[in-house]
Amino acid sequence: MNLREARFSVIDLETTGLNLLKDEILSIAIVPMKGTKILAGESYYTFVKPETYDLKSMKIHGIDPKTLEKAPKFSKIAEEVKKKIGDSVIVGHAVEIDFDFLKKAFKAEGIELKNKCIDIALLEKWLSDRLGERKCTADLSLDSLIRDYNLSVRFRHDALADAFLTAQIFQIQLLKLMKYGLTSLERVLSIIESTKMTRIDFIF
Amino acid sequence: MTSPPKEYMRRIKPFSFLTEDELNLLVENLDVEAYEKGTTIVKKGKQSKYIFLVFSGVVGLYDDDTLVDTISKGEIFGILSAITGNPFSLSAVAMDDTICYRIKKEAFKKVFETNPKFSAFFSTFINRRFRSFTNLLKETEGTFQEEIYLTRVKEIVSKEPVVCKPDATVEEAAEVMLEKNVGSIIVVEEGKPVGILTDHDLKKVLISGNKAAKVTEFMNSPVISVDEEQPVFEAYLTLINKGINYIVVVSDGKVKGVITSKDILTQFEPSSSLIALYRKIRKANTIDELKNHLKGIRKAVAGLAIKGVHFYELSRMITSVYDSTVVRVIRMIEDEFRQKGIDLPDYVWIHVGSSGRKEQIIATDQDNCLIHDGDGKVMLSFAERVNEALDHVGIPKCTANYMASNPKWNLTLSEWKKNFKEWFNSLTGENIRYLSVFLDLRPIYGNQKLYLALLDYVKRSVTNQAIRFLALDATSIEPPVGFFGVKGLEKGLDIKLYGIYPIANGVRVLALDNKILDVTNTKERIEKLRNLDVLSEERAREVLESYEFLQELRLKHQSMSISAGGEGDNIIRLDEIDRIDAYVLKEALKIVSSFQNFIRGKYRIEGGF
Repeated sequence: MNLREARFSVIDLETTGLNLLKDEILSIAIVPMKGTKILAGESYYTFVKPETYDLKSMKIHGIDPKTLEKAPKFSKIAEEVKKKIGDSVIVGHAVEIDFDFLKKAFKAEGIELKNKCIDIALLEKWLSDRLGERKCTADLSLDSLIRDYNLSVRFRHDALADAFLTAQIFQIQLLKLMKYGLTSLERVLSIIESTKMTRIDFIF
Repeated sequence: MTSPPKEYMRRIKPFSFLTEDELNLLVENLDVEAYEKGTTIVKKGKQSKYIFLVFSGVVGLYDDDTLVDTISKGEIFGILSAITGNPFSLSAVAMDDTICYRIKKEAFKKVFETNPKFSAFFSTFINRRFRSFTNLLKETEGTFQEEIYLTRVKEIVSKEPVVCKPDATVEEAAEVMLEKNVGSIIVVEEGKPVGILTDHDLKKVLISGNKAAKVTEFMNSPVISVDEEQPVFEAYLTLINKGINYIVVVSDGKVKGVITSKDILTQFEPSSSLIALYRKIRKANTIDELKNHLKGIRKAVAGLAIKGVHFYELSRMITSVYDSTVVRVIRMIEDEFRQKGIDLPDYVWIHVGSSGRKEQIIATDQDNCLIHDGDGKVMLSFAERVNEALDHVGIPKCTANYMASNPKWNLTLSEWKKNFKEWFNSLTGENIRYLSVFLDLRPIYGNQKLYLALLDYVKRSVTNQAIRFLALDATSIEPPVGFFGVKGLEKGLDIKLYGIYPIANGVRVLALDNKILDVTNTKERIEKLRNLDVLSEERAREVLESYEFLQELRLKHQSMSISAGGEGDNIIRLDEIDRIDAYVLKEALKIVSSFQNFIRGKYRIEGGF
């Protein structure tokens, strides 16, 4: 499929932690893209009430526990999220972790997610190796990508803001890919696969 | 919920008038598209579903093949078409990789019709835009043609000609070209040009392989030349018609120099001229060469300002040009001293005041001092030479004598420390004035250690009392904003005194208090203070925007004056600015007032001491 025709869902989750076994999703942001176009108006953002997590013990996130208390449980929104994602390619920063959380949450609802994923950090690494614009050991955290792509914003990031900024980075990466002559989605996906293999030296 | 597009738009002027609901409506109808360089975004005569807000890159508006205007970051196009329903009257083409926020025009129109402030802005905006379209067209055409007709060839030849004799070998000629860093060499016999050898010809030699051949074998002959009294336009036509890159300039048949089409174009295209200038300055070998290069700078800057280049960008460019000029001059004078066998002690050349803050634009002069650790006499005579030379190349001496050639400002580290100690502890009006000049110090050339040591001392020895006095000083002149607007604007208002200084001075107080003196630029200081939570996001943004606006207003005002052959002052009159600027000026001065109140509160100087 041509990249310009491809559908992407740029996602960002906030979770109670990074342990897939015991941590839970607190919010989900999805920014859809068609080709290089970011469909900002169709963005989706919701808080999720965790199943077992003790909200009183929560400190780190800027999310107000009261908001989460009132938020729907994942089972209530699963269908809506599934519809929003469809069979698009999931895009995110260090997206594998987020995607694992989503898969786990969906599995509990009896739904299996089979979407392909693109990690913008991996893509950045590949692009910089190829185009020689950045040292491969450079910092690939979302914050420094935001800085490098001149997208700095001055307000606190929530999941939606991060998803949107990720989409803006991915948009410019797509332009670079197309300039480089890479116009097929399948080719990009295989690049991501091959980059994963060599990511031992990968520093976040 | 915060979404980046909303936050971004909220900060751009007309959108800042919108309510939360109206902004939400626009964001719900927004997408972000990336256009590769060269892509047509909307074609002339076509309808578009959107209005466009440029997020990054540049969009050119074309009437068929003619470029009418460029739209860059933060600017909007397609409004007229969205409101009237008429097709686009110009084509929009991405001149670089460009990212646009696109808002569906129905949503835009709805907001436009319901929010009177928003639509009032746009109506004025559209009118102004159109006026400036036509003005811009007239101006650029007018100035380009006029200047290219009026300027004589000799005015743009800035270098001595690089020549060789007919019996020189190609290798010898190439060595000279390399050494002088030029792309062509003129072959001269008895002062008269008989041929020209260019980079292009050297390629031919490279292929034939015979670098021991005489230059006459490979040179272009006869020489195509232009008399130095001819208008530049003639030279330009010749270059184009003959399809050549170099043309020899002569006077009475004798060689005077060479000009290229690039020389001509950079001379008449203001934005590239600054960059070209910078490059030339770095290459200049004599003080007079520097002087020649700098001649055009004020006009170039004025041209750029009128064309709408922003203050922060422009001041960054100008600062690099002036800084590199100063460094070139210092190096030349150092050489001069070395040749005389005079040893210079360790020293550091420092810029202070607005030059230290990197905020000089048009009416620039020298504000400098130096720290040394040796013979004061030698350094004084050295500084005198540098100050003279800078004056000669076109950076005039400081009328208040804040210069390194002044024995008061040409001192050893311990003498400087004593100065600051004295100033911090005896807070007379004069000392406060010294502090506001010398607290903005930026090292330009020399041994940084001396500067760092002084900076460290200043940070350690500043007193609370000094900070409070400086705060009082920064808030003593209040902008005349009243209930009905800016007082005295009809007769003229000094925006440097009432707007720019209060911000720069107030920010300096906060910077001193928070020990961030290594940052001198007001904008960078504000950003740093925001990051340290000394200034709230909101206040930092307001102050930054006001500062930029005031500086830009001043810049535009001075540019107009300089383009008309004047000198440029800081007095803004109501009749020279339009409605929006008058409105924004009032808002900006209110922010200055509120910033002063903040300083007063913070340093407890309500109603003086």
